[in-house]
Amino acid sequence: MGYVFQFGVVWEHLPELLAGALLTLRLSVGAFVLGLLLAVLLTYARGYGSRAVRGPVVAYIEFMRNTPLLVQLFVLYFSLPAIGVRLGANQAALLGLALNFAAYGAEILRGGMQAVPVGQIEAANALGLRRWRVFRHVVLMPALRVAYPALASQFVLMMLGSSVVSAISATDLTAVTNTLQSTTFRGFEFYFVATGIYLAMALAARAGLDVAYRWLFPPLLRLRSA
Amino acid sequence: MERRNLLAGGGAAGFLFAAATGPASAQTPGLSTLDRIQRDKKVRITAEVDSPPFGIIGSDGQPDGSEIATARQLAKDLGAELEFVQVSATQRIPALLAGRADIAVSSLSITTDRAKTVAFCAPHGALSIVICGPKKTAIAGPADMAGKRIALTRATLEEATVPKAAPKGTELVFFDDIGPTIQALLSGQVDAAGMSAFAAKSVADRNPDAGIEVKFTVTTAYYGAAVRQADESLRHWIDTWVFVNTHNGVLAAIYEKYTGVKLPPLPTI
Amino acid sequence: MSRGFGWPELQFVLHGLLWTLGLSAVALTAGGVGGMIIALARVSRLRVLRIVAGGYIGLFQGTPVLMQLFLAFFGLAVLTGVQMDAWPAVTLAFTLYAGAFLGEIWRGAIQAVPPEQWEAARALGLRRPATLLRVVLPQAVRLAIPPTVGFLVQLIKSTAVASIIGFVEVTRAGQLMVNVTFRPMLVYPLVALLYFAVCWPVSLLAGRLERRLDARGSGSPRR
Repeated sequence: MGYVFQFGVVWEHLPELLAGALLTLRLSVGAFVLGLLLAVLLTYARGYGSRAVRGPVVAYIEFMRNTPLLVQLFVLYFSLPAIGVRLGANQAALLGLALNFAAYGAEILRGGMQAVPVGQIEAANALGLRRWRVFRHVVLMPALRVAYPALASQFVLMMLGSSVVSAISATDLTAVTNTLQSTTFRGFEFYFVATGIYLAMALAARAGLDVAYRWLFPPLLRLRSA
Repeated sequence: MERRNLLAGGGAAGFLFAAATGPASAQTPGLSTLDRIQRDKKVRITAEVDSPPFGIIGSDGQPDGSEIATARQLAKDLGAELEFVQVSATQRIPALLAGRADIAVSSLSITTDRAKTVAFCAPHGALSIVICGPKKTAIAGPADMAGKRIALTRATLEEATVPKAAPKGTELVFFDDIGPTIQALLSGQVDAAGMSAFAAKSVADRNPDAGIEVKFTVTTAYYGAAVRQADESLRHWIDTWVFVNTHNGVLAAIYEKYTGVKLPPLPTI
Repeated sequence: MSRGFGWPELQFVLHGLLWTLGLSAVALTAGGVGGMIIALARVSRLRVLRIVAGGYIGLFQGTPVLMQLFLAFFGLAVLTGVQMDAWPAVTLAFTLYAGAFLGEIWRGAIQAVPPEQWEAARALGLRRPATLLRVVLPQAVRLAIPPTVGFLVQLIKSTAVASIIGFVEVTRAGQLMVNVTFRPMLVYPLVALLYFAVCWPVSLLAGRLERRLDARGSGSPRR
């Protein structure tokens, strides 16, 4: 086709691309923290709550996991104003990502919780610990340890999946790339570089989370010679 | 996702990069697009279906609108069966360049920037880009955009012109298609939006409660069909077609039917 | 006046759902074939094959599917000079995407087949291709079914991003209908419900298959 590649144009706009990448990172980390908190609450409610609470919790988890993030974002950004709730684009993006992540997080934590030996829980109860403390120390922490790899994977999946927030005008890396390529007519070059940035971010996130794991969850047994 | 895989993925990306920037393969020469259309009796034309009144989805689920009707007439006069290639605003030119469509008839305003990548035919319509918004939003001129949130669609004339006219402190918000831009305006997510005057009128007419009105005009432009730069013979044919149908009033009739406005005198390109 | 949301509008959205299902089916099938090739390459004794397959998986799992779609729509034609219509381009993009994930799933399944099976096959004098074909793969397929069905849900949901490049699947059909009816409060939740109606049964099936496999105790890795 005789297409002449001009990556210099991309280089000129690198600061804008990086600003978009920064927002992607901030949205992802924010959604991870909020989503994980919510996931813990959901898991507690599911494990210890009454039937009236369990039903909606399960319904929420199943609904969020079986509908696309993009449609969830459309509802948050375009549908809610009809009932008077008007969220900004970046707010809707953060909320949407967090709510979505919470559902997956809850499922992952449930799997992690099942790995906790029942005897531990029984022992803690026998010691007279209250339900929430039993949950926090005996169930949750070991569950997080087991679930960590899956949660880390889910973080990377979410960060990559966050590219759809561009459709509701949040100014993430994808949005910045789209705007730049439509004004400079250098579509291929910009998409190529942006894809590379995403790949680099996924790699860095993966490495960082691996390091964090070793720091957060040091080996349980330390054998010391006398 | 193992880290090893991601690293190897980076290597794969690098390999593709090298392949991409190597010598690009040439398109098969020989048959011009016009010849191919006449031989196969088939032509593919872009259809932007989220851009009132140029292109919408009619109540029968089929594309309708001024550019859609123009495309139908063009295909009929070519003697070819028409296949619509549904595109969003950002895909109008890429679909043409990638060969998914032969002709782009989707209210593409004629600009010198676009002319670097596509070849425009003689214009067959005119439009103006306006800023529109609800009555309660006070915008009398470009200066009033400061401190307000303005929605624009990517890859459109409004994206190319409004940012230049916007003062510092304007928050510009970009969507991938005209539909979401209109939705953002109607749902109150933005204070105003940039779009063609016809689209603004269409939105206002269909939503009397929203009280959408035109605030001011940003620029005017002529729009025309676009083809790939190599398709000289097709471009000449379309130029001739526009000339004939301007003269016999067909283009004017289509234009007035969908926009409610008389077709202004059209210059030649 | 704007149109109300009636039967024609619902029909349009349902028509989009057909395209969603069609795209998912083609990507799953074609991606399944590709995934099998990738999985075999990943367990190959040739290091070069392992690295290339690993690179492919890393590339498609480490980048957003939306970006892959943009590149397929913008880049493929300029790179190769091959012109492709919208449907082939979209199906190619999702096939490549599915192939990477399915390849990983099936590699996991192949590696989950107990090593004793390999040893027993070798003891019987079977060479590697025959071992794979007759002993390992049949067992791997059974192990791979639950995560594959689970991935199908991911695939169906991921086709929603095709709406952003204008491909009229159910999400875009909904978008277009919002713009002629101006009822986002009705249409977007409806689209969500349609996805749920399709994905939830598949999710339940995947869960049931996984539990059945665990009960059989064939040593599948716990997700």
